[in-house]
Amino acid sequence: MSSGRSITRSFSSLLGSAMFRYIVRRLLYMIPVFLGISIISFFVMYAAGDPLSIIRIGKPDITQETIESLKIYYGLDKPVPIQYLNWLTNLLQGNFGKSLRGGRPVNLLIGSWAWETVKLQLISILLAFAISIPIGINSAKKQYSKQDVAVTSISLFGVSMPTFWLGIILIIIFSYQLGLLPSAGSRGAPYLWWDNPILDQIAHLIMPVAVLVYVMLAQNIRLIRANMLEILRSDYVLAARASGLSERKVIYKYALRNAIGPVITYLGISLGMIIAGAPMTEYVFSWPGLGRRYVTAAMELDFPVVMGITMIITMMTLIANLMIDIAYVYIDPRIRLR
Amino acid sequence: MAKHQLKGGKKTLTNSDLITVENLIKYFPVYSRGVLLKKQVGIVHAVDNISFNIKRKETFGLVGESGCGKTTTARVILNLIEPTSGEAFFEGENIFEKFQSSNKKEKLKLRREMQLIFQNPYGSLDPRMTVFDIISEPFVIHKHVPKSQWKEKVYELLELVGLEEYHAERYPHEFSGGQRQRICIARVLAVEPKFLIADEPVSSLDVSIRAQILNLLGELQERIGLTYLYISHDLSSVRQISHRVAVMYLGEIVELADTDELFKKPLQPYTKALIQAVPIPDPKAKTMKNVLSGEVPSPINPPSGCRFHPRCPIATEKCPKEKPKLINKGHAHYVACHYA
Repeated sequence: MSSGRSITRSFSSLLGSAMFRYIVRRLLYMIPVFLGISIISFFVMYAAGDPLSIIRIGKPDITQETIESLKIYYGLDKPVPIQYLNWLTNLLQGNFGKSLRGGRPVNLLIGSWAWETVKLQLISILLAFAISIPIGINSAKKQYSKQDVAVTSISLFGVSMPTFWLGIILIIIFSYQLGLLPSAGSRGAPYLWWDNPILDQIAHLIMPVAVLVYVMLAQNIRLIRANMLEILRSDYVLAARASGLSERKVIYKYALRNAIGPVITYLGISLGMIIAGAPMTEYVFSWPGLGRRYVTAAMELDFPVVMGITMIITMMTLIANLMIDIAYVYIDPRIRLR
Repeated sequence: MAKHQLKGGKKTLTNSDLITVENLIKYFPVYSRGVLLKKQVGIVHAVDNISFNIKRKETFGLVGESGCGKTTTARVILNLIEPTSGEAFFEGENIFEKFQSSNKKEKLKLRREMQLIFQNPYGSLDPRMTVFDIISEPFVIHKHVPKSQWKEKVYELLELVGLEEYHAERYPHEFSGGQRQRICIARVLAVEPKFLIADEPVSSLDVSIRAQILNLLGELQERIGLTYLYISHDLSSVRQISHRVAVMYLGEIVELADTDELFKKPLQPYTKALIQAVPIPDPKAKTMKNVLSGEVPSPINPPSGCRFHPRCPIATEKCPKEKPKLINKGHAHYVACHYA
């Protein structure tokens, strides 16, 4: 087969100038998008209210003098455009600023929260995609069979149901009633399950992962099933069958390769959104991740934290999009780089 | 038509037939989806008890309006759809029995003998494969060409269908409709088949390209000795390419004869109407006399007796009551009509 040859061909075109120029141009396009998002977020955040007024609510006896000195300390006394430029200058030097709640560097905070979220999300996404592809294919192969009807009904339920509701139901059953799984946090003290750190981790992950996987699974299965159905009806699949190709090869070599495009897009978007996490699920399970902190920071008007996380999400989404577009060139020969 | 008493098994070859189809029936159930359960509400009589034979190196035309069961016939013969009942033989071997059996080698062998060209060359090529991959795919499946000769063989096939060597590295979307149909033909020829079903191979193509493809099919028949089942609703192309023609109406064959005989002396009123409906490239020629009125009835509830009677200009009381049999009227001209 010339698949070996086509790989070498693809590889040489990767090193070739077309792909290189394309990537450089796309990276340059990111700059205005990035700046635009940062400006909008910054001013929206500013319009949301005076961040120091919340301190006054928490501590009624705080003096006006202290507030003024805090304002100067955080640079909030300057005009907003100047504040933005200062923030941007710092950002370009890799400095996200300091949290308005406690004054700790945002870089450190994000670093310590991100790991928990990435762990939760990555496991869920990979699990969801690994499970959904064979189930989706099977459902399409046996359209309207009992198995298919069951899978599509369960998927429809998964798409329609609010995630926090499923989370609460799981907590009621497995933590409250059966007492099998921990209802909150990412770590036990002491460790659950025979005092083993790995088993403890698994015990804490099971329910949040189950919720996230179920939601993603539902969407994914529907996507794969719909695409497969369309392609299995096409003439070239019939042609492959007529030339004597085995059913397994017809499905995996012809149909799946053509059906996988939208799935890759969805996977890319999911990976781009990995940091944003699933605030709802993190909240329900009190998971110490970024998603939950993001929402808390927004409510507390802690804008250096909000801006920092927003910019990371922006960056990751932009890069994920670029990667999807590059992946498409390899999956679909009809797409040419221009 | 040849009558064979043996059901299944190997049949003694008494004639030059390559393909024999006997009492072939394909019904599709129609379901209505309830809340939980589905129930069958009807049957589409797609192919209803048809029999014919195709001789070696012959082109057998199958014509009829859309939805009369031509494509279903083709797909059932290739066992891409399971038949409801009936038999089909390839060189005396029972096709359906072979595909039912668990002998993988035999199945593959039969797949190699019979191939299919599709109506729509835009949908029948995998957009993710190069022309080389598409044409060499049969070599992967059937292993009848050693890997060292693939390139040579692919180039040979491309040349045979009138394409160039450099086309091998391209993808289907880079070709025109006519070129794609040539690629489809090259792919089909790669398995070295004896029998080719061409399911409306030119109807989606430009008129100027139609002739090229039809000529190519004719040339290939002469050079390689192929046998065709040529399916079309376009009578002019059927007349140009076929040796014998069968006319289908609502899943049944209503007339079958040599091409010249059929076009000069059509006996069935439906065939007459079809032939009269062919436009004649002469503005002074008389306009069509009896254009068919009405639509084709639904194959779910086909008319009783002769299925053509609701639209037939010469129908009498007998027609809805009694189904006419396909009878030989001499010169191997078969017709199903009470008044032919």
